[in-house]
Formats: sequence, structure tokens, C-alpha cells
Amino acid sequence: MFGLLSMVLAAQPQTAETFSQLFNLYLAFGTAAAVIVISLLVFFVIRYRARDGHDPSKYPVPGWKVALITAMITLSVLVTAEYQTIASESNITIPNDTNAIHIKVLGFQWGWSFTYPNGKTTLNNLTVPAGAVIILNITSRDVFHSFGIPMLAEKMDAIPGKVNTMWFQAPLQTGVYRDAIRCYELCGAGHALMIANLTVVSQQSWQRWISS
Amino acid sequence: MMEQAINWLKGWLFTTNHKKVGILYIFTSCYFGFVGAVLALLMRTQLSVPDNNFLTGNFYNQAVTMHGVIMIFWFLSPLAIGFANYFVPLQIGAEDLAFPRLNALSYWLYLAGGIFEIISFFVPGGSANGGWTTYQPLGTSQFSPGAGPTLVFIGWILLTVSVTLGSVNFITTIFWMRAPGVTISRIPMFTWFMFFTIVAMLFSFPALIAALVLLVSDRVLGTVFFSLASIQPSILWDNLFWFFGHPEVYIVLLPAFGVIAEVLQVFSGRPLAAKNVILISTAIIVLPLSFGVWMHHMFVTGVPLALQNVFSISTIAISLPFDLITLAFIETLLHGNIRLNAPMLFALGGIVLFIIGGITGVFLSSPVLDRVFRGSYFVVGHFHYVMVGAAIFGLIAGIYYWLPRMTGRMYNEGLAKIHFIVSFIGFNVLYFPMNLLTDMPRRIFTYQSIGDWPLLNGVASIGAYIFALAQIALAYQVLNTWFRGPPSPPNPWGAATLEWPQVQTPVVGQEAPQGGWIGELNTENVGKEKLHDNLSSRPILLTAGIFVALLGVPYYSSSLGIATILIGLLILAYSVIGWAMDDLKERFVVQDSEAGERWPFHLVSKLKLGMWTFLSSEIIFFGTFIGAYLYIRAASPSWIAVGSVHSIPIGALNTILLVTSGLTMALALESIREGNQRNLLAFLGITFLLGSAFMGIKVSEWADLASKGFLISSQNQVISIAASSYYFLVGLHGAHVTAGLIVMIYLMKKTINGQYTKEEHRGIENFALYWAFVDVIWCFLFPLFYLM
Ligand code: HEM
Ligand SMILES: [Cu+2]
Ligand SMILES: [Cu+2]
Repeated sequence: MFGLLSMVLAAQPQTAETFSQLFNLYLAFGTAAAVIVISLLVFFVIRYRARDGHDPSKYPVPGWKVALITAMITLSVLVTAEYQTIASESNITIPNDTNAIHIKVLGFQWGWSFTYPNGKTTLNNLTVPAGAVIILNITSRDVFHSFGIPMLAEKMDAIPGKVNTMWFQAPLQTGVYRDAIRCYELCGAGHALMIANLTVVSQQSWQRWISS
Repeated sequence: MMEQAINWLKGWLFTTNHKKVGILYIFTSCYFGFVGAVLALLMRTQLSVPDNNFLTGNFYNQAVTMHGVIMIFWFLSPLAIGFANYFVPLQIGAEDLAFPRLNALSYWLYLAGGIFEIISFFVPGGSANGGWTTYQPLGTSQFSPGAGPTLVFIGWILLTVSVTLGSVNFITTIFWMRAPGVTISRIPMFTWFMFFTIVAMLFSFPALIAALVLLVSDRVLGTVFFSLASIQPSILWDNLFWFFGHPEVYIVLLPAFGVIAEVLQVFSGRPLAAKNVILISTAIIVLPLSFGVWMHHMFVTGVPLALQNVFSISTIAISLPFDLITLAFIETLLHGNIRLNAPMLFALGGIVLFIIGGITGVFLSSPVLDRVFRGSYFVVGHFHYVMVGAAIFGLIAGIYYWLPRMTGRMYNEGLAKIHFIVSFIGFNVLYFPMNLLTDMPRRIFTYQSIGDWPLLNGVASIGAYIFALAQIALAYQVLNTWFRGPPSPPNPWGAATLEWPQVQTPVVGQEAPQGGWIGELNTENVGKEKLHDNLSSRPILLTAGIFVALLGVPYYSSSLGIATILIGLLILAYSVIGWAMDDLKERFVVQDSEAGERWPFHLVSKLKLGMWTFLSSEIIFFGTFIGAYLYIRAASPSWIAVGSVHSIPIGALNTILLVTSGLTMALALESIREGNQRNLLAFLGITFLLGSAFMGIKVSEWADLASKGFLISSQNQVISIAASSYYFLVGLHGAHVTAGLIVMIYLMKKTINGQYTKEEHRGIENFALYWAFVDVIWCFLFPLFYLM
């Protein structure tokens, strides 16, 4: 959560930016709804505490009208939220970008290996050029894993026999993002240790790195 | 003295009385809740500080897995079923459940399954460790070898069978056993919500049984459903599991809603607001739609975007009725006279926590946001707010609410209030930090000291201890009230539902049948209640047979394992025959009351209603397998050619045999309708011969196939998976036919005894229904396997 907040402050790659905007909308709606409804409950409990001479059976039983009104209000909130989700789906749609860099990701018990376009392979470290559009083809050698980079708001399952695609825009700030990549599906005794770094380098050093 | 003790013990072990069985359920589930809680505290201790070595990764995974499995399947639902056992019959004015022995059987199967879960920890290699969701292929023997996981899955199958039998029982009870005057519109809310729960169980558990049976078949028989990467078994499992799994979360929740609905009315003095809106939206939106949202658990498995959107929208849609229900609950308080006794406090607390959990659920319904939350502690926070917050708080409300009814004594209100306050605070200290841990993967056994993880995890662990300590107060309350509590007035809360003494059935104005086992202990309050209890040793013995036989299954390759299986089967056969003899000799008779509210099933016999209900769950059961088969066919890169392996003429011959036997069975039924016992026997005999011929041909067909190398162990992947699906599905159907043949022996014996007459031949009628079902299944299997 605090991680999410700090993301908002720094300049963000596109997927993370889209995510925070959507998340903030849900958070605003969610908090408002929780506060209103819970306050109402607390208010009723205080207001209608048992008291002498009060006969609750004097009042008519509420029917469907209030229910209908509240349903309409909630429905409009939910529809707005869902609409914004669908509007943010560039995050989960592979972009049609000819400059994108395609990298293969293989999950195994317990680690990640990355294969770059020229066949170079790295273990537990994904190196990408700053700001570039990266498309990952993710699969697994043994059991079900899930490849996630929370700081970029992206995640995709690594499933044996199936290749899934995921994309992200690399962070603009170069450096080593330690432990930025983790496995998010229980995959055996070493699940907690299935961690990889994300290394972001400048465009030139990437060319040098990849051909070394 | 000795004799008294034995009688006491028999009174519990052989009981078929719904109250006693209910009490057994309640105490057993609390025991399992305790086990689950210990596992949870072990996990929270391990996670309280970074880089901890308190547990190994392997044991942590067992703990996290069995915590989930035990809490959901052996604690939450059975606790609710315990209440339902005790109070549903009382609330509708029924003497007992529709099928009392079946009910006892449900309980013993549940217990036997639970024992499997516990002993799995003590076999070499330990218990299952792939999470309660058991994602494949992690659960196959390649990645989780050993007897432990197999025992877990077998125990789990027993539980699902128990639940299915229970569903049949409750649906029949609620529709067929209501006292005069308890019309549909007068059914109390707890019974209604139990009914919704049971319907969801009836249609979702068969999918779970199917998935588990496929898995156990892989582990024991060597089929390859979940181990051939080429057919993407992970996706097959995900679909099967979540088709069951989403309805399951409502199965956990709805009983608590039932309790909350009762408690709110009683302690506010107001009738439920918008009652019909609640009932109708649950019945026509929540129930059907709960089977149409499962893919929100699969947003990141690579399903097409359009499908993600469909399931995102359906998830949003299903949250709407919950919003209605919550607001109706709150509106009920309006103009009330609210008494904040412990049941009310827990009910209100449950609503507050449900609101928070429901809202985090809406976050999860967004496929875009799910790219962060999936598999993280945010999900853990979400479902604990609903499962612990709403469901357990609601059920605790039920414990306090009904404790005076069950014991005739009153609990200590002051202590109960402290229990509530500490639980509520401890709960939030425990689970709120998880809502903030959006980047921490769930189910990791250790973490390094980064960012806010140590702080939030430390706080959560402290909350866990507070919450757990508070529950000691609950245990103390229950035991103390039971043995020493001050006498309670008969209807301490002034409730208006029939389970309370002195409440009159509407219309007729007579008191509902009471009968309470505890009434004998404590007659001064509850009044001398008659305890009708037909003892039967069959349910527990039958379960013991199944238990012993299954215990040998993981070890079937050793002679000791085989011996265990055989002994178990002997016990099983003995008790099944005993059960049948009880019926033949009419040793166990359930007297149905003549009159009652049975709409819309007033023209249907009780047994037939039960049979229909059972068969409808069987349809889901076979449907799941057929769905899995079609998935495999579609996912498999190639398949065996039509006619190359399975001989179409032989298949066609068998089809003719079975369909003909369906006709002769119909003639058998027709004969006895006209009162002709001789023709009945003749047609039953022909049906039996045709069925036996079918099975005979099947067996020789299999022997032939096996000799030609059509084996699940084949090196050729296509043959291996084709053989797996063929032997499995056709074998399962064959098992149904065989079971039918065995029942037919019993029916023929009863016919010879002259026990079927023109007026009374329900046994034949129900069997004809079953046999027709078995025929129809074959009519699907024949084209699926032989012609395409
Ligand atoms: C407003 C209603 C709800 C909505 C919109 C909702 C939505 C969701 C979604 C989308 C997920 C999948 C999250 C993921 O794995 O990425 C989820 C998970 C879950 N929900 Fe809910 N939910 C709601 C209510 C409930 C209730 C009432 C319960 C139980 C009483 C529940 C129990 C669970 C459980 C156990 C999981 C996690 C399963 C697992 O992966 O282990 N939810 N919920
Ligand atoms: Cu993992
Ligand atoms: Cu769900």
C-alpha cells in the first residue's frame, strides 16, 4: 500500500500510471460507500437503542422502495467503476508496437529464466532498457507459477503447456529494482524464494549488454 | 453404572435424532476449528518477523493448505449444518429430518473425512501442501508424492459425499415436512438461508467431487488427467475447481446471513425490512449467478479479454443483491427498540465486516486491478473479512442466540460483551493490515525486511493472538453455560419462531412438536420434552467400513494395504446388507405425519422428492466429467480415430441392451401399478439379466482393449489420455449400473416377500427413476466415446 503511494509520487511508466488512477477511483468510491453505510448502521443503533414507552410495531415495515433506490445508487457507482476498468484495459491488452522487445519467461521450481530476442539467457534477473515497451511470453517448465511485477501493476500466470503474454513499459529511472519480480502462485516449498530483480539500463548500455 | 455409560454412549453413536446429530456436528466442527486455528497461529508466528526460521517452507505449505481446507470444509460449513440439523426441523415444525439414518450417515462420513485430514499430517512426507485450491499439476504424485496428500483428497471426497447426502435430506425436509400452517411465506429466515445454501451445495459440490475423483484417480490409478502438459491441465483444474469454488464462498456465507436475519428481528423488535426483496434476489440472482462468475479467479490465466469482461460484469452484478441485503438489514433497525445483547452485537459486527469485505471484493472484480491483487495478501484480507468477519461472527451470534434453547441455561452477558469487543478489535488488527499488503504474495513462508512488510506483518500477528485469545472466552462460555449456567426462561429473547417453546404454529394454533435431548437434563425450564430417538448402528458401521477400505487405498500395492481394503469392504457389505434387512423387516420406520405443507410437491412422495434431488446432483456430477472430457478432446493436439479402438457394433449392441432394460423396468413399474406382483418379478428379472449382460460385455470389451495395448500407462500420450478418459468415465457409469444390479437383488427379494403392492411400491418407482437415469447417461457416453 505504501508502495503504491510512493508510486504515485515518482514519474511512472504507463501501466503503473493507469493502475493508480483506476485504483484511486475504486478507493474513493469504496471508502465513501463504507463510511456512509457503516455510519448509518452505527447511527441507527444509537438512535434506536431500547427505550421505555417506544412501541416498534407502530411503524410500517419498509418494503421494496428504499431497496430499489439504494440499488439504483449502487448500480450507478458500480457501472461507473466497471466503465473505468474497461477504459483502462490498455494495461492488459498487448500493444501493437513494432519496437517492442519480446522476451521469453520460463518459470520453474524455483526461479525465473529470461531469454532475450538474440537468444541470450539470464537467471532471476530481467534486464530492460528504460522506457521501452516490453512484451513477455510466459510459460512454466513444471507447475503453475504466477509472474508478477507489482510496481508496474502487471501479473500473468506461468502455466505448463501454455504460453501467456503480458506487457509493460519499463521504468523511466535506470537502476536495479531489487526483488521487483515475484511468484504469486503457491508452487512448492521454495515459493517464497522465487524472486527476481528488474534491472533498468539506458538504451545504449542495453545494446551493449545484450550483445555481450 | 456401567450399563448406563454404555447406553449413554450408544445414545450418541447410534443416534438418528436431528438434535443429537446437530450437537455432534457443532462440537466436532468446533474441534476442527481449533485445529485450524492452531495451524493459523503457527503461520502467524512464522510471519511475525522477517527471515524467521520457526517453520520450514514445506511445513508452512502444509499448514497453509490444511488451515484453509479444514476451516472451510470441516469448521465453517459443518457448524452451520449443525445449527441446521437442530433448528431447521424445529423452525418448520417437523418431527425430524426426512431421512434420519441418512443424516447420521452424513455426520459420520464428515467425521471420517476429518480423521483422514488429521492423520495425513502424521504419515511420512506429511500432508497436502498445494493450497486449499490445489492448483494442478502441483497436486499430482509427481510433485506431491506420498500417501499424505492422497489421504487428504480421499477425506475431502468423503466430505463432499456427506454434503451431497445432506443436501438431499434438507431439501426434502424443507419441502415435505413442514407442519400445517407453515406455508412457504411463513418459513423463517434461517431456514430460508439454509435452503439457499443447500441448493448451492447440491449443484456445486458434484463439480468438486468430480475434480477430486479425477485427481485421486491420477494419484492412485495412474490416469493422466492432470499430468500431461499438452492438454493444459492447470486450466482444466481451474475451471472445475472455481465452478465449485465461487458458489462455495456463498455456501459459507449464507447460513450466517440466516442467523443475522433472525437476530436482527428479535433484538430490534422489527420485522425484516424488504423481506421479499431479500428472498427473491437471493433466489433468482445470487443462486444462479454464483455459477456464472468463477472466472474472476482466473483473470491472469490468459483467458481472452472479452471473457474477462463478461466475468467482471457478472461479478459486479452479483454484488448488487448483497448490497440490497445489507441495506435491508440496516433498514430493519429503523424505528426499532434495539437491545445490544451478545447475539445482536455479533450480528451487527458481522454486517460491518461484511461491508468492508464486500467492497474489497469489488476491487477484485476489475481485471485491471487484479493484475496487482491476484495472489497477494489483499485477496487474503478480502476473503477473511467475509469468511471470518461475516460468516464466523454471524455463526457466533447463532451460538449465543440459541445456547439458551439448547441448554436451557443462560450464558454470562458481561463476558459475552467483552468477548465481542476483543474479537472485533483483534479481528481488525489481524486482517486490516492485509488490505495494505498489496504487493506481498500470499502463502510465502518467509520474507526479507523490505518496506512496510515487517511492520504490517508484525501487527497482523499481534492481532492474531488477540483474536485467538478472545475465543477462549467463547469456549469457556459454552461449557460453563452448559454445566453451570443459571436457568433460562423458555423463550428468553421473546422470539417468534417455532424453535422456541410456547410459540404457536400459525393458523392451526397448536404448539410445534418439541422434543429436546437436553430437556431431560434440565426440565425445569424447557418443559418435559419427549425425545424420540430411533437408534441405528448402521450409519456409523457403514462409515467405518468405508473408512477402513479407503485407508488402504494409498497403500494398495502392498499386501497390508490390500488386506485393509478387503476388511473395510467386508464391514461395508455387512452394514449395507444390515441396512437393507432393517428395511425388509421394517425394523426402522419413520412415521410421516399425514398432514403438512408440501406445496409445490404435495403430489410427490417423500422418497421420490429425495430421489429427484439426488439425481439432479448426479446430473452435475456426470456433466462435470463429460465437460472435462470435452475439454480434453478440444485441448488435445490429436485423438484416436473413430472405430480404430472402440468397436462400434459392440457399443451399439450394449446400447440396445441397456435401452431395452430401461423398457422392461418401465414395464415392471407398470405391472405393480396394476398390482401384478408376478409380472413385477418377471420384468425385474429380465431387467436384471439385461443389465448383467451389459456389464459382462463391458468387461470382456475392456479385457480385449487392454490386451491390444489401449492402456493408461501407454507411452503414447494420445492413447494414454484417451484410455484415461474412457476407462474412467465408462467405468464410473459401469459402477452405477453395478450398484443398480445390487439394488435389484434387494428389490426382487422384497417382491418375493410380497412387500410391494398396488398401493405401496415407492421403492420400485424410485429405482425406475434411477435406472432411467443410468440409461440416459449411457446414451450420452456411447456417441461421445464410440462415434466421435
Ligand atoms: C461483494 C461480493 C464479492 C465480490 C465482488 C467478490 C469478488 C472476488 C474476486 C474477484 C475474487 C478473486 C480474487 C483473486 O483471486 O484475484 C475473490 C476471491 C475470494 N473471495 Fe470474494 N467476492 C465477494 C464476496 C465474497 C464472499 C461473501 C466470500 C465468502 C464468504 C468470498 C470469498 C472469497 C475467497 C475465499 C476468495 C479467494 C479464493 C482463493 O483464491 O483462495 N468473497 N472474491
Ligand atoms: Cu510460486
Ligand atoms: Cu469467486
